[in-house]
Amino acid sequence: MRDRRPNRVRGPGHDEFWSYTARGELRLQRCKECQHLNWPAVPEACERCGATHLVWERLSGRGTVISWCTFYQQYYPDVAIPYDTIVVQLEEGPLFISNPEGFTNNQVTYEVPVLVTYIDAEDDAGQFRLPVFQLP
Amino acid sequence: MRGRAAIVGVGETDYATDYRLSRGLQEPGDVRAKLDDLISLAFQRALDDAALTRSDIDGVTLMVEMESEFDRYVKLLALPTLRVLRTGGWLEQVPCAAQLLADGSCDTVALIFAAPFRTGARVFGGSTWQGAGGDSYWYYHPWRWSSQAAHWALMWQYYMSEYGATEADLGHVALTLRRHASLTENAVMTTPLTMADYLASRYVVKPLHLFDICLLNDGAVCILMQRADAASARPHAPVVLSGWGSATVHHAKLDFMIRDRLRTQLMAAGDQALSMAALSRSDIGHLMVYDASTIHLVNQLEGFGFAQPGEGLAFVRTGETAIGGSLPVNTNGGMLSHSYMAGWNNLVEAVKQLRHEAGPRQVNDLHATLFAATTTDSAYPMILTRAGRNA
Repeated sequence: MRDRRPNRVRGPGHDEFWSYTARGELRLQRCKECQHLNWPAVPEACERCGATHLVWERLSGRGTVISWCTFYQQYYPDVAIPYDTIVVQLEEGPLFISNPEGFTNNQVTYEVPVLVTYIDAEDDAGQFRLPVFQLP
Repeated sequence: MRGRAAIVGVGETDYATDYRLSRGLQEPGDVRAKLDDLISLAFQRALDDAALTRSDIDGVTLMVEMESEFDRYVKLLALPTLRVLRTGGWLEQVPCAAQLLADGSCDTVALIFAAPFRTGARVFGGSTWQGAGGDSYWYYHPWRWSSQAAHWALMWQYYMSEYGATEADLGHVALTLRRHASLTENAVMTTPLTMADYLASRYVVKPLHLFDICLLNDGAVCILMQRADAASARPHAPVVLSGWGSATVHHAKLDFMIRDRLRTQLMAAGDQALSMAALSRSDIGHLMVYDASTIHLVNQLEGFGFAQPGEGLAFVRTGETAIGGSLPVNTNGGMLSHSYMAGWNNLVEAVKQLRHEAGPRQVNDLHATLFAATTTDSAYPMILTRAGRNA
């Protein structure tokens, strides 16, 4: 069963990110000028230096949880509360906001290692695969 | 530009009364009618405070939340000699007004901020937040991560892990500001708050409790500014804009926000402002910082260099930031207990303190206040001084 999610941001850069997750690949744009890994995705230019030579680099999918929070306030009308979100520091550096899969924030500890996995999801634009993180 | 402009008048609406009335609303009310009342009242009170009239006002900056059309409110002000009109923006408009005064474009500028947050049932999160405020406000919808509160929650969870702090440690910030609010006329929240109340309060976004998040209320603020040389003719001691700074995160926002807690930006902008004012940190007797959340007050206390990283909570717990402490902070109760006017109410408190008109909460012998507007990725500190010293 597909998980209904609030809408993704779509457009140049963003669409490529989601087309890679559909193949089970976590890729972010590496700037070939300053080596910065861009996240959120950028339409054409590096957020750090403005260069346009960007390459979609495949990441390991490994990381550690460095922060987390649980929503008790309902900001999305159709989403049941409470629910958990985590901040994963990807092995390659960027911080990535996501959800824990197969564990909860009650079990999380600072810098616990996690590994990316994908869940089948859909929003107004259609079906997609959402990167979330599980304990290895 | 340093010391060339001064605040000569302030006006605020009846936050506490409005809050009590708006709590009874079952659904959004008439936002424009509410704004008419709020803007008129704050403007008239500022004019009265400065002993000026409408015909003295030749520059206006109008900032109206939840509204995109401003003509209605410009007409409402009924200004016969308006030369410069600006709309939108935020507290960076204070230095901009100083510039208009310094270059002779205007002689008296009115900065008016109005917010019908409660009447308009404003919600600071969810799918309605699209394409504004930076990508952290709308990019993570698919993971159901959204809201202003969630930004502060991630900072605070990280802080607890990094420094071994507990929820009760942060509670002291809320308790301190509530005590300050109890000494402030017109504060929305004045009921004494205990640690048991704080810890038992509901989570908004865990680990942040209800009392860690700023209020949501209706109101308006008007600030009148003139050139410092003209300001001495006004009835109250002029409050001089002696310096300001600005620094913004341009990449890797989450990293600067969660792990650095904007220390890089706060330190850079604070140094700019102090340098411009020719003052050092030890000259600052009072802080008015952007307390959208308790943890953000701590971020600024540490980031501006008034406490070491990880020591801000102990600084609060031991009473240093209370009235009578070594560095009183948010002496009106801030946006957590006084009024959520996006920082403008905190600017008014800086003015009252520097006029030495803050009554029971007056900071003794105060000459310089650091006032800051700080978002999740930008720092805009200003140094305000009492005229006659360091002007």
